[in-house]
Amino acid sequence: MRIGQTDNKNAPTRLLDPSVLSSLSNLELVAKAVVEGFVMGLHRSPKYGFSQEFVEYRAYTDGDDPRHIDWNVYSRTDKTFIKLFKGETNSHLMLLLDTSASMGFGATHTKLQYGKYLAASLAYLASRQHDAIGAMIFNDEIVQYRPPTSKSGTLHGVIHTLDSADAVEGTAMHKPFTRFREHVKKRGLVAVISDFYCDPEALMAYVRPLALHGQDVIMFHLLDPDELNPNIKESTLYEDMESGELIEVDPVFMKQDYPQRIKAHIAAIEKTAKGMNADHVMLNTNDPLDRALHSYLTFREKRA
Amino acid sequence: MSLLSPLFLFALLGIALPIWLHRLQTNATEREKFSSIMFMEQSQRRIHIQRKLKYLILMALRILFLVLLVLAFTKPVFFVAPEGAVTEDTTHHIIVIDTSFSMREGDSFDQAIRLAEGLADDLGADDIASLYTASGSVETIGTATADPALIRGGLRDLEADYGRLDIGAMVSALDSLITSSQANFIIHFISDFQQSGQAMRFADMIPDVINGRPVSLSIHPVKAEDVPNWSVASVEITTVDSVRVGIKNNSAADQSAEKTLSLSINDIEQQSLTETFAAPADGISYLTFENVLFEEGDNRLDVSASPSDGLLEDDTRHTVFDNSPPAPVILLSSDLESLAVTYITTALETAPRGYEVELQNINDFDPRILQRYPWIVVDDIGAINDSLASELQSYVEAGGAILAAVGERALGQANIPVGEQTIGGGLTFSRTTSYNIQRVNSAHPVLDGSVGWNNLAISRVLPIEVDNTNNVLINLNDNIPFLIERNIGLGRFLLLNTDLNNTWSDLPVKPVFVSFIAEAARHLSNEELLVKEQTINSFLQLGQSGGASGQVYDPSGDSLLSLADTTQAQSIQLSETGYYRIVTLGRDILVAVNPDPRESDLSIMDAQALQNWETMVAGSTGNMELVNGVAVNLAEEEPVAIEIWRVLLILLAVIVISESSLGNRYLRFNIGTT
Repeated sequence: MRIGQTDNKNAPTRLLDPSVLSSLSNLELVAKAVVEGFVMGLHRSPKYGFSQEFVEYRAYTDGDDPRHIDWNVYSRTDKTFIKLFKGETNSHLMLLLDTSASMGFGATHTKLQYGKYLAASLAYLASRQHDAIGAMIFNDEIVQYRPPTSKSGTLHGVIHTLDSADAVEGTAMHKPFTRFREHVKKRGLVAVISDFYCDPEALMAYVRPLALHGQDVIMFHLLDPDELNPNIKESTLYEDMESGELIEVDPVFMKQDYPQRIKAHIAAIEKTAKGMNADHVMLNTNDPLDRALHSYLTFREKRA
Repeated sequence: MSLLSPLFLFALLGIALPIWLHRLQTNATEREKFSSIMFMEQSQRRIHIQRKLKYLILMALRILFLVLLVLAFTKPVFFVAPEGAVTEDTTHHIIVIDTSFSMREGDSFDQAIRLAEGLADDLGADDIASLYTASGSVETIGTATADPALIRGGLRDLEADYGRLDIGAMVSALDSLITSSQANFIIHFISDFQQSGQAMRFADMIPDVINGRPVSLSIHPVKAEDVPNWSVASVEITTVDSVRVGIKNNSAADQSAEKTLSLSINDIEQQSLTETFAAPADGISYLTFENVLFEEGDNRLDVSASPSDGLLEDDTRHTVFDNSPPAPVILLSSDLESLAVTYITTALETAPRGYEVELQNINDFDPRILQRYPWIVVDDIGAINDSLASELQSYVEAGGAILAAVGERALGQANIPVGEQTIGGGLTFSRTTSYNIQRVNSAHPVLDGSVGWNNLAISRVLPIEVDNTNNVLINLNDNIPFLIERNIGLGRFLLLNTDLNNTWSDLPVKPVFVSFIAEAARHLSNEELLVKEQTINSFLQLGQSGGASGQVYDPSGDSLLSLADTTQAQSIQLSETGYYRIVTLGRDILVAVNPDPRESDLSIMDAQALQNWETMVAGSTGNMELVNGVAVNLAEEEPVAIEIWRVLLILLAVIVISESSLGNRYLRFNIGTT
């Protein structure tokens, strides 16, 4: 079995199923369960940063966890150095979670719930790799912002931030990206978790400056199965969850034309991502989270 | 609206069922939330809206079905006022237009129509009006209405006729035509107010009042002063070749006028005479046409005066002169040489009408010729045999008439042939004691005006016993009938209880016998019923045909009787001026009809009398018995209850069909989009 693939017969990976996770009320617990389960399924490969093989020292900088300072070197040289192990990249991860109203869509669990699990899991994973973690919750405004740091308690704080997010209001992509560009100067990883109901070209305009500033952007594109293949039996009056606008559509259109349009949009977002050297990961909210984590690790390794 | 079974209204709670099913039990959400509609496209058909509409209509239909079903069980009834119903505040204008003959003078009738139109236009918001015409009779034109256009429509076809208006009769007729009502009444009377139309008693012109409803009278004269008018008042045939014509000055002042009188007989002008007539007020001047030639039978005499005045139609008078030869009559006798034959023949031939007696021997008589004669005479009823008696009875039953006497041949018989009166036992005969006339029914046409019966010497009679089917016209002492009439079928049987040979009594040689025979002939031939000169709107008696069927033609030549009426109608009304023609078997009779001469008098009622009349009616308000209360069509009647459950059932059927159709479409929509 390939790494990251789910196997329902394997008990640990079953925890990665979002429908199972939705029964857990503690997001931190969810993240831990997901990541531990995921990690248990992985081979001890040094390339993912989970080995204890010493690689080098580097100078301590603000934001580094003081617990990682090598006090022996300090006693000899009066300088603070941090030990780096293989797999650690001395990076930071910024989580951008879309909490617009459209993220509240979903039958058994919403896209926002899935996004929270994903974001929490990524944060937990990054924490294990001693990466600095930050989070930004946004919709059409910046709702919460936590700058990336690897200090003690960061993981708990990030997860709390994620946990408190609700799906309301609309989506304004330019605000989080502009704010992020203004506050985070250091190169790192940026994970954007959203359903990306926006104009691909406009999205490119917002994200491209990040890429140019050296940020590595991975876009987790979350969609519910009903958004990908809606199945209605009769003419239905739909209400847009963000704008409240009403539209009446017939089942023939939803069965034939709509899937093509949403696929074209996904393709356009993916193309946009490629156009600015970003990764695009399309996630069905029924998919287990290991695929997302695996994509993240692959992406991190690639950008290390 | 009222409900006869209102308890069923509790069943209306049942409408909660469709409401619950449609609004609470439905899983259908009105709208569905979706993350983003940016990739969706509006459906070309607003199916959702249509469907929702259908859904609501379906629910409404089901609720309506239950409501109507419940209502049908509650037996709803509508109480509607009768058509033309009036209220306490309604004023009912009764517009009466005089359409009598005098209104044909000049523009009187046009003026009356204009006045009526003005009244119609002046109707108030709460007012209604009904239109009546008054002439020989009072007639309603249409129904009571508040619409002036309908009144005008009713006026459009009116015209003055040839009848006579009697105001007292008109008020009486209004009494019967108008019944009680809640309305206040104003009687508008539009007329020329002829003095001759005034009732004999002024009180007859005052309408009564019922229920204390106010009634007032409004008088609308069409002219303000008398109009001189001459009319041809009479045409008399004084001798066999002269005609005397009377021309009347119908005004309240002495008048003279030069008039040319023309005499036409059977539409051929015979003579014209011009003369200046001078006549006092309401007086007649005469002029005689000499050497006039008449045709045999009925002659139509038309006398016209020219130049004409305002009232054209009374300048011509129609008269019929019967120039027929003596009418034939059969005298049946067993002895054609007897004295009885002589006496009867003499009496008939000297009667004013003149009869040609055809003697027939009873033994040789062929009864088939009976139908040619309206009546016959039998000198001794006892002489006829049973066979002839049967034939004569059939003849009488069919409308014929027989004048019969008893005689020697009747002695010893039990019954009088044909008449079937019983003859009692013994012969009443006395040479020493004569019988006296005890009672004469002088009201009977046969005995009308005749005198001398009490002077008869009667020595012998038959002891005839009569029942109540016989009318004893003359009684002797001891209650012995002397003259008996019995109606048999359509005919008459007149029996004298004496012989006519001057043996049993001296009647045949008395003067009363001649007048009796003449009157009996007129009576039995029905000539008395036929007056050949009549006034318009009078009735013509149709009994003169002797039982034979006949037809009547009006002055236009149109037949008036249906086939059944030719034998059954007893009389017809003469509603046109001119000549009516009565055609029966072997007879052709003319009847002249003229306007009522009283209508030719155009003198109007005194203005003070009119004002008094108006005042008296208005003054009677609330005091007298409601007369004229309310028009029939405005009757203060109980509201009419109209049950509407049948209508509800029809609506229910329509709703069931609609619901089924709509429900089927609703389901078909769901299936089609699955």
